Amino acid sequence: MAWFDDLLFTYQNLAVALGVNGLLALSMYVVLAVGQLSLGQAAFMGLGAYSSALMSLQLGWPFWAVLPLSCVVPVLFALAVGGPTLRLNGVYLAIATIGLGEVLRGVYLNVDVLGGAMGLSGIPEAAPLWLIYAMLALAVLVLWQVGKSGIGRAMEAMRLDETAALSMGVNIRRYRLATLCASAVLAGLAGALSAHSTDFIGPNDFGFEPAVTILSFALLGGIGSPFAPVLGAWLLTLLPEVLRPLADVRLVMNGAVIVVAVLFLPRGLLAWRMPRHVRPGRAA
Amino acid sequence: MLKRRTLAAAALAALLLPMAASAADPVPLGAVEVLTGPTAAYGTAAKAGLDLALEAINGKGVLGGRKLSLTVEDSAGTKDGAINAMRKLIGRDKVVALIGPTLSNEMFAAGPVANARGIPTIGTSTTANGITDIGPFIFRTAMPEADVIPVTMRKAAARGAKTIALMYANDDAFSKSGFEVMQKAAATAGLQIVATESFASKDTDFSAQLTKIKALKPDAIGISALVEPVSGVLLQARQLGFGAETQFVGGNGSNSPKLAAIAGAAAEGMLVGSPWFVAKPDAANQAFVAAFQSKYGKAPDQFAAQAYDTLFILAEAIDRAGEADPAKIRDALTKTEHTGALGPFRFGENRSPAATEGVVVLELHDGAFRIAP
Amino acid sequence: MLAQQLLNGLLLGATYALFALGFTLMFGVLRVVNLTYGFYFTAGAFLALWLTQAGAPLFLALPAAAIASGLIATLLDWLLLTRLRRAGADELASLMVTLGAVLALYAGMTAWLGPDIRRLPPGLIAAGALEAFGLRITLAQILILAACALLVGLLLWLMRGTRLGLAIRAMAERPDTAALMGIATARLAALVSFVSGALAGAGGVLIGLNFNAIHPYMGESMMLRGFVVIVVGGLGNIFGALVAGLLLGIIEVLTAGYISSGLKEAVAFALLVLVLWTRPAGLFGTTLARKA
Repeated sequence: MAWFDDLLFTYQNLAVALGVNGLLALSMYVVLAVGQLSLGQAAFMGLGAYSSALMSLQLGWPFWAVLPLSCVVPVLFALAVGGPTLRLNGVYLAIATIGLGEVLRGVYLNVDVLGGAMGLSGIPEAAPLWLIYAMLALAVLVLWQVGKSGIGRAMEAMRLDETAALSMGVNIRRYRLATLCASAVLAGLAGALSAHSTDFIGPNDFGFEPAVTILSFALLGGIGSPFAPVLGAWLLTLLPEVLRPLADVRLVMNGAVIVVAVLFLPRGLLAWRMPRHVRPGRAA
Repeated sequence: MLKRRTLAAAALAALLLPMAASAADPVPLGAVEVLTGPTAAYGTAAKAGLDLALEAINGKGVLGGRKLSLTVEDSAGTKDGAINAMRKLIGRDKVVALIGPTLSNEMFAAGPVANARGIPTIGTSTTANGITDIGPFIFRTAMPEADVIPVTMRKAAARGAKTIALMYANDDAFSKSGFEVMQKAAATAGLQIVATESFASKDTDFSAQLTKIKALKPDAIGISALVEPVSGVLLQARQLGFGAETQFVGGNGSNSPKLAAIAGAAAEGMLVGSPWFVAKPDAANQAFVAAFQSKYGKAPDQFAAQAYDTLFILAEAIDRAGEADPAKIRDALTKTEHTGALGPFRFGENRSPAATEGVVVLELHDGAFRIAP
Repeated sequence: MLAQQLLNGLLLGATYALFALGFTLMFGVLRVVNLTYGFYFTAGAFLALWLTQAGAPLFLALPAAAIASGLIATLLDWLLLTRLRRAGADELASLMVTLGAVLALYAGMTAWLGPDIRRLPPGLIAAGALEAFGLRITLAQILILAACALLVGLLLWLMRGTRLGLAIRAMAERPDTAALMGIATARLAALVSFVSGALAGAGGVLIGLNFNAIHPYMGESMMLRGFVVIVVGGLGNIFGALVAGLLLGIIEVLTAGYISSGLKEAVAFALLVLVLWTRPAGLFGTTLARKA
């Protein structure tokens, strides 16, 4: 089975990236599902990656303890900035969250224990591939169940018409903060898993460009169900590798594929919406 | 359905099974360079050097007539791109040795992959501190900045500088590590550091930092960054009134013909340490420069020269190893001696260049580098 | 030194404002997060580069490059967005399509022209600096300040003082109602794209001239600051973009000059977040282009 080992070796990083990007797409999906253009996912991911890397490198803790704790810092950050930030809408929210990400990047660059521009290296490669996919499957399952429940209906209502949702008694502020925290958990996990499968993290992995890339995962896939953003992430992760033989025009083709896909499928590749049965007597 | 699946599996297996290497098969080598994206200029220069060397080497071949086959993969300048390219070259193309990646950041991310797999990997332009600490299979022909910058600083001090201000890009591993070297080297050379200022690699405005430095009137300014921001700093320094009385000193990033192309007259007088320069008179270098000129119609830069020599060094190591086996090539590399465009070369204890006597200090004069008088 | 630092900040701020003028117009009026905007900036700089290399003087190359960039912007808007507009797709779809397009455009340009930095021909504009009261300023910088002031004035006049501006503002506010009132919204959208693209192109020429570095990704590296400026200034608000641009420039320079150059981004972005926390629609934001 030597050839299988080689196959696994060749595509191991890609396999990790598919899993991690799937989680990031879901992290984007939960905020888009309530109609918020919040772009803090790369920042949350960075917090998860840096805090977990420090726990492994400085404190020498085992990975099974590090992984659940990697969500703590992103969630605390979400809770700290959530109040004033979530009053914003649309592009204003997008820019505020990007701004928070840039502030964090400035912190990584200027604090010595975080490695500055050199980043942190020598992180143990402790995250097995199966665990990444197990987390992804678990996340899809949980989001699917939540989506089908009354909470999911309330979220859908918020996305379509906030005023109507409000008048129906949906506590919008609570929902917004809860989804931001859920988004932070998913991105934090993704950060810890990715840091513990590539040995090295640096401040530029979590800036403006990654934030836009994560948004594009969810937008290309669609937000009708938790499967759609994962599909979008997988397509955008695979595309540059599939197009590799095209050499210097591969990024051109990459962009062109996105343009064509959106022009003809503006609601995402997987526009199918998950079923939501309205059950009498269970108001949100 | 079943049939189709078996067929597909068979086809896949055929693609992936290593074919029994016969004595006539080419020796598979790989290179990872930045060929697309904003930093593509460095990788493209290296690739040009590699292609030129490949033609020359394949004229007679290695291991008694086997040719080298060199697959160059693009990293797009990103960490993930470099890792994917390296894994593809090792896992699918079954390369026995690697050249690259172009940028120090990429090497920090992708180097561990090759090292863990036991594939010797030679960086040709990765000058940051700690590159070869990644592991025993990681080499570099790039002269680390720690060996070059002290020579440059001594030159600046010899020219009468007493005080220096340092500027660097703080969001890039190569620039930051070069800055740390500059700090140490300036102190050793007896220069007093009066200010330390940073900027981001993509910045175009450096007026605030330069205005601050100007008020301190240092004799010299050291800049550690890639050539694009360095040129920006120089252009703006002239706008703000820095004249010939201020000695500008650059790191490896400034060692490029692009410095004069972008900064023009603003770069006049800048000092740069280099393991190589285009007008070096020895025969091997002149032959390289002439061959490069006739193939590409332009003068080579340091990145092309280092890549060019590296492929020759690798080819000689393969001959010395006696077979295309990664571990044997690794051991052979440590014993290989080669005289090429960079002059006489061998690897030292830490798999970086052994000798630093070859370092020359260049000065930009009338739009071209010359040996600093 | 403070005076020179303030001047540095003012000049940096003027480049941000110059970049953001067309962006805020495109964004505020067409209600599209159009990520291709940075490409028109690059295109303008390259067009001027080719024209001046062919011997054209700056005063001809600048308007020609601006007009050509405007035409490219109109064409791309038509190619990418008409279909989505007609289908009534939400703004996220248009954001995504422009993202794909801009990836392809930059990559295509790099594949075609190479990633190298180019310079405008030397001697195109006097390089020496004027010195007065201990302050130094170059001709290119004076040109940027003047262009910034002139363009802001022109745009304010266009939006507030003409019937065309009234129609544009009507469209920004309520596209459906404007169409019902007999405003040819499709043609007006094309015109706004043209003006925005031309502004971007002119910005590219002037900023390329000042920093003397023209390369395919030059527009891309301005986008993050561009977003900050138009959001802090209020979407579609021309005057707001000017003030926000100048403020951002001055804050960055003063942070670098008096606190630490390593913190200049972090401080600028922290202030951005604080502004939005206290004024959720930016400093001058009401909604869209009502105030122009």
